[in-house]
Amino acid sequence: MRAGTLRSTAYDDRPYTRGGAVDRTEVGALVQSAVDGDAAAWKALVEGMSPLVWSVVRAHRLSDADGHEVFQTTWFRFAQHLGRIREPDKAGAWLASTARHECLKVLKGLARLTLTDDPRVLDRASEDRTPEETFIDSEEAADRAERVRRLWQELDGLGERCRQLLRVLMASPPPSYGEISAALGIAVGSIGPLRQRCLRRLRARMDTRGAV
Amino acid sequence: MNGDERPEGPEEFADGLLEEELRQAAAVLDPVPVELVQAALDAFALHDLDARLAELTFDSLVDALPVRGVTDAPRMLTFRAGEVTVDVEVTEEGLIGQLLPPQSARIEVLGGPQTTHPVIADTLGRFTSDAPPSGPFALRLRTGAEVIVTEWLRA
Repeated sequence: MRAGTLRSTAYDDRPYTRGGAVDRTEVGALVQSAVDGDAAAWKALVEGMSPLVWSVVRAHRLSDADGHEVFQTTWFRFAQHLGRIREPDKAGAWLASTARHECLKVLKGLARLTLTDDPRVLDRASEDRTPEETFIDSEEAADRAERVRRLWQELDGLGERCRQLLRVLMASPPPSYGEISAALGIAVGSIGPLRQRCLRRLRARMDTRGAV
Repeated sequence: MNGDERPEGPEEFADGLLEEELRQAAAVLDPVPVELVQAALDAFALHDLDARLAELTFDSLVDALPVRGVTDAPRMLTFRAGEVTVDVEVTEEGLIGQLLPPQSARIEVLGGPQTTHPVIADTLGRFTSDAPPSGPFALRLRTGAEVIVTEWLRA
């Protein structure tokens, strides 16, 4: 198969679908094409799965510098292992798991050092505005932008487990439960109930504080 | 709650909407930095089927017991590809390592798809690099017989 746009990753673990139709064979086929040297397939993999890897980094609250290095290490290693990955159709879970382990190493390394400052950052929106932010700041979208910002702020009040789960869950395209499991080291079976609890907690917070 | 549960009711529908809203928020407020996407695209150049991969089999950060009172112990790493072992110590001054069984080799310290720093291993397999790796690094070792690359790692 030639590379196209990687629409979504595989829901490989349960008959549970979110976000529409999913082509389960696509990721595996893209990996195989990339192994054969197809740069367009690699590009599709990067574009389709970078948000997942990034979400894992952000879920672990690394500093920007550490997070960037973990992200790069994960992709460098993926390129290196490309032809050796046992289940190419689960490349998303491979990436998520690799990113998680690198994140944990960073946190472990930090815990050993005597710190002069707290390297962890909140998942706040950056000070610099992206073009998209500038766009949503335009007048017609102001209300919507406000809600998006509040939604983002409320995430921090949910508790660590929920914040982590939701940060990975919101990767685009929607990650499979297998990928979420690999990203956070939690059992696939516990993701559904946790997702429901966390989303409802967030909704309740938005409802109570939201009525302006 | 069971595995066959499907998002059908109004509550589940609202959950799905909120999740989608979060997804859009993440895309706007916390997208993957452009330079990182580019780094991942460039990483395709690191795909090398000819080299033998030396896997990380020991990392002091994970596998060693912390020594009480010692907070700046050097990072010790061991990579293995078949019968070949590469031991590496990462210090603030750089890298010290040894290739086993002892043999000479030309070594490159890789810092990314484009960055390399050459080092020579003597006949006993010992090598030193005075450039401490910052960020991800790997070693590419050319022995007489083959090319070995260590797994990418964050120093």
